Amino acid sequence: MDSATLSMNIPLFEAAPARVAELDSDTALVRRAVAGEMRAFEQLYRKHVGRVHGAILRIVGMDRARAEELTQEAFVRAWQKLGTFRGDSAFSTWLHRLGVNIALMDLRVRREEDAVDGETLEHAAGGEVPFCAAERGDLQRAVAELPPRARAVLVLHDVEGWKHEEIANELGMAVGSSKAQLHRARGLLRRALGEVAA
Amino acid sequence: MNNEFEWRSQIKKLGESVEPANDLWSGIAARIALEQARPAAAQRRWSRAVAAIAATFVIATGASLMALRVDRSVPPSSVPASTTQPAVATTPADAAPTAFDWAQPSDPKLAAAAHDLDQAGADLQAALDAHPDAVFLVSMINRTNSQRMRLMRQSAISG
Repeated sequence: MDSATLSMNIPLFEAAPARVAELDSDTALVRRAVAGEMRAFEQLYRKHVGRVHGAILRIVGMDRARAEELTQEAFVRAWQKLGTFRGDSAFSTWLHRLGVNIALMDLRVRREEDAVDGETLEHAAGGEVPFCAAERGDLQRAVAELPPRARAVLVLHDVEGWKHEEIANELGMAVGSSKAQLHRARGLLRRALGEVAA
Repeated sequence: MNNEFEWRSQIKKLGESVEPANDLWSGIAARIALEQARPAAAQRRWSRAVAAIAATFVIATGASLMALRVDRSVPPSSVPASTTQPAVATTPADAAPTAFDWAQPSDPKLAAAAHDLDQAGADLQAALDAHPDAVFLVSMINRTNSQRMRLMRQSAISG
């Protein structure tokens, strides 16, 4: 490798030193936790609990008690599966995904029938009502009040940035159903926010 | 929020971290500790049961061979009528004699085999207490008792 190549490579490594250090520190903590060091796992918990809990909280419709229960479950499961973490993705991504899956599994088990009457669905499908200015709290409440599956799809797609294929796979539905649920969720949100603004 | 872009950026902001109101760590640590303790205890119990089963087979084979040799040397009519032994257990609730109930043979070789059989029986009983649904353990206990009974008979014959 000549000096020109070296000089080109150096900036690449220097691009995100903080991120690299963070990944390294997670990897080291995971390694220590796999060896049975609970203190290391506690550090991972303290570092990532906010993100995992936040995602779960949104999926369960801001039910705080349920979200805490599922977050606890997610970390116990993470401890059990820690040995299977290969480091293909960042630990935070792996853990976040595991937490979301726990919440989705809970959703599937509960299988609450979307208690939305026909009239509401009709409004939702239309989507003519424009989005109105809403406070963050109003938006959060409106999302929480969506039917469970529609809420899960909206949170995963619009908030967490998942693709329809991933959502469909995790929720055991067709890709088309995921798209339809998203459309429905947005329609319901429009309506709810329109009512808030009115 | 009249345009899609504004709405999207606002909903994206909902994806922020939210710390739980309560510290969940103590609950998580307790559950992990429980999970770690449970399989270890279960494995210990099963290891003892498996060892007991293996020991029973070895001892039973040895005792059978010994009994066969004694059988050939002593006529059947000389077996004392008083060596009646308890019936073989059919369920865990049946009162099969415990290691303490069996008489000890005077022959040192038979006594050693009897001791091992008693130990195996006690281990099997403990495993059955821990896993009352394990039917195969009942049959193992019955087999152990049966071998122990034969051992006592041979002890009585050999005097």
